Amino acid sequence: MKIVIAGGANTADYIIKNFKGRSNELTIINFDREAANYLAKSSKLPVFYGDPTKPYCLKDARIEGSDIFIALGNRDCDNYVSCLLAKKVFSVKKCICICSNPKNVEVFKQLGIDSVISSTEQLVQSILSESSLESLIKTMSLEDEKIVLTEIIIKSTYYIAHKHIMEINFPKTGSIACIYRRPRVIIPNGSTLILPKDKLIVLSTPNDQKDIISFVQRDKK
Amino acid sequence: MKKASILKNKTLIIGCGSLGATIANKCSQEGKNIMVVDTDAKSFERLSDRFSGYTFVGDVTDLSTLEEAYITSAKEIIITTGDDNTNLFVAHIARVIYNVPQIYVRLSDPDSEILLKGMDIKSIYPLELSFDKFNLMRGGRK
Repeated sequence: MKIVIAGGANTADYIIKNFKGRSNELTIINFDREAANYLAKSSKLPVFYGDPTKPYCLKDARIEGSDIFIALGNRDCDNYVSCLLAKKVFSVKKCICICSNPKNVEVFKQLGIDSVISSTEQLVQSILSESSLESLIKTMSLEDEKIVLTEIIIKSTYYIAHKHIMEINFPKTGSIACIYRRPRVIIPNGSTLILPKDKLIVLSTPNDQKDIISFVQRDKK
Repeated sequence: MKKASILKNKTLIIGCGSLGATIANKCSQEGKNIMVVDTDAKSFERLSDRFSGYTFVGDVTDLSTLEEAYITSAKEIIITTGDDNTNLFVAHIARVIYNVPQIYVRLSDPDSEILLKGMDIKSIYPLELSFDKFNLMRGGRK
């Protein structure tokens, strides 16, 4: 794969280390003299010194037709412009953009960037999932938090324990995607029996997540 | 909800440098409804004493700033900050997200034109203008 890495110092270094070799062809562009020197030294690859938001610079770096373009600059609008150039002018197949302001994730996507990553948002996500872990619930979100996967461990005191799925009248807003019962993974249907210590993986929207958790954790009457 | 309130009658000026301030002063004399936005409150000192519009301090690359500056009711937006990439970003937001009827953007690098293709954004290049003027003064050859 032909990968272009624009901007960034430590992040770029880490990404380069991970992609180097493995039949990848890396093009590194950096507009900071010090960072460029550092990257050249640590990666032992040629580093192109120039501004990735300027078309002539990207042209000189020969990024045309690359597979992936990763913009790691500090400023959101610089990353936006370099990604857009890569996509529209140099027909790069996929552009990944880092942004520091989490509000810009949606904006960048609307403006045509393929993939946008916000470290602040990821941090919030992992704090959230850590904090719900304490109450034995692990969640994971997909498609920018439009879908959540919730992991719930069944206790013997729960109402739904020792019941078939068709008997419990599971909320229509969610779906039990799978049940993990050591060491097997069960794809459930109506006749599947829910047992204590089962791990239910439930698919729902974030709005319905709370209702589903309280439904599953309802105790026996 | 209140559709009637979204009357597009404001002139939004982004960046209060020499160009932004000059345009703001001129528009103010013409009696337009003006809002000037800049990251630095000090730059509003460039506005004349008779300037009668509104000023707003904030980061224009943040959507909430633009919304607080009433971009939704802007009939025209003039983007004049000193940074080309910020200008391009704001111009694209104004076109794609808020669909402001008239968008003017100041850019120093003529190469940036490719990113404005097909977006109905009017661009101003001070460099080209000076060069044209120079040619004109030298004898009308272009």
